[in-house]
Amino acid sequence: MRRAGRLALGALLLLALGAAGPAPPEPEGYRMEAFRAPTPATLQGATVVTTAEAERLWRAGAILVDVLPQPRAPKDLAPGTIFRLPPRDSLPGATWLVDVGYGALAPQTEAYFRRGLDRARSERPDQPIVIFCERDCWMSWNAAKRAVAWGYKGIHWYPDGTTGWREAGLPLERATPAPEE
Amino acid sequence: MSASIRIAALALSTLLAGPALAQEETAWGELRSQIVGAREVGDAAGLIELVTPKRAEDAAIVPLEVKLHLAPGDTRKVTALTLVVDENPAPVVGTFRFPEGRQAFDLQTRVRVNSYSWVRAIAETDDGRLHMTKAYVKAAGGCSAPAAKDPAEALANLGQMRFRVFADRGEAQVQLRHPNYSGLQMDQVTRLYTPAWYVEKLSVRQGDKPLFSMVGGISISEDPTFRFSFAKTGEPVTVEAVDTQGRSFRQTFPAGEGS
Repeated sequence: MRRAGRLALGALLLLALGAAGPAPPEPEGYRMEAFRAPTPATLQGATVVTTAEAERLWRAGAILVDVLPQPRAPKDLAPGTIFRLPPRDSLPGATWLVDVGYGALAPQTEAYFRRGLDRARSERPDQPIVIFCERDCWMSWNAAKRAVAWGYKGIHWYPDGTTGWREAGLPLERATPAPEE
Repeated sequence: MSASIRIAALALSTLLAGPALAQEETAWGELRSQIVGAREVGDAAGLIELVTPKRAEDAAIVPLEVKLHLAPGDTRKVTALTLVVDENPAPVVGTFRFPEGRQAFDLQTRVRVNSYSWVRAIAETDDGRLHMTKAYVKAAGGCSAPAAKDPAEALANLGQMRFRVFADRGEAQVQLRHPNYSGLQMDQVTRLYTPAWYVEKLSVRQGDKPLFSMVGGISISEDPTFRFSFAKTGEPVTVEAVDTQGRSFRQTFPAGEGS
C-alpha cells in the first residue's frame, strides 16, 4: 500500500473508532457527570461481560437490569400538554430501573433501586444480576458499582448494553420503567 | 480492496449511519395527529423561514428565529405560529398568535433541545391553511440541564421584566425573569427532579394593539426571552404573563421605550 493510502486509512480508522482512545481507569468513587463517555474496562467486585456472555446468561435465566436514565412525566404540566418520551427497546424480560446510575442518589431513588434488585432476586434467588444501559454510558458502571457496594452478590456489568445487543442481532423488547412503588 | 480498507470503510459507514438514522421522522409520525389533527399541512417555502444553529453551543438556550415574509401581492396573513422540537419530552414549544394577522414579522426565542431533533415551525394563515418548515438541530440535554441560576436567585428576581428597543434594526426584546423549570431538571442538592413551574401565557401589546401572545411549555428556556419586529409609535408597551402556579406578572413601558 502506498504511504498516502496508509495515512488515509489510519485517519479513517481513528475516525471510525470514534477516537475513543484507551479505556479510562476506574475512578475512586462514582462518576458524577458527563456520563456519555468511554467507560473503564473493569469494575472491581463485578464480572464484566461481553455480548456473547450476556446472551448466554440471558438464555440461562439471569436477572437483567436496565439502568438507562429516563425522567417521569412531570406532575405539574398544564392540562393538555403533549408529553412523549422516546421508546426504549431493551433486553427481553429486563427490569428497567431508571435514574439509579447517577453519581449520587436521593434516598427514595436508592430505595427504589434496592426494591427492584430485591424483587428480582426473590423471584430468581440463584441467578446472577446483569446490569447494563448503552455503550459508552457510565450509568451502568455506577449502578453496578453501587450494587456491589451494597453487598449484592453475582453482579455482572455488561458495558456494551443494548448497543452491543442490537449490533449482534439479538431480540429486543419494548420496555417500561419499573413503577416507583 | 484490501481487507483492512474494507474493515475501515465498514466501520466508517456504521459511524455515519448513526446521524442519518437519527434524522428519521419517527417522532413526528407519532406527534403529527396530536398537534395538527387530520389537517393538511403545506410547504411553508416562500411564506416563512426558520433559522436555527445546526449545532447548538448550549442545548438549554438554543436560539430559534422565525421570519414571516409573505410575497408582495399575497393578501393572506399569518394568524398563528407553532414551534415544535420533535424529540423533546414536551415537543410543543409554544403557539404564538397574531390577532391582527402578520405578513412580515420576525420572532426569535430561546428553547431547550433535549436530543438531536427536527425543529418545526407551523404557520396558520387566515385562509385556514397550515404551512410547515423544518430544520435539524444537533443539541442534547437541554431539557434536563440544571438551571443556570440557583433557586434563591431565581425566586428573588421572579417576574422582573426587561424591555429593550433596537430601533436601528426595527426590533424589540422582552425578557421575563422566571426559572421556567421543566420538571426534568435534577436538583443538584436533593438529587430529585425539581417540579415543573413555567410561564404558560405571555402577551405583548402596544397601546391597545396586540403584537403577539404566546401559550408556552417547558421547552422555552429559563428567563423566557422574545425578540420581535417592532416600530415605535409613542404608545406604551404592556407585557403580561401568567405561570403554571397562577402567578401573574404585568408591566407597562411608557412610550414604548426600553427599560
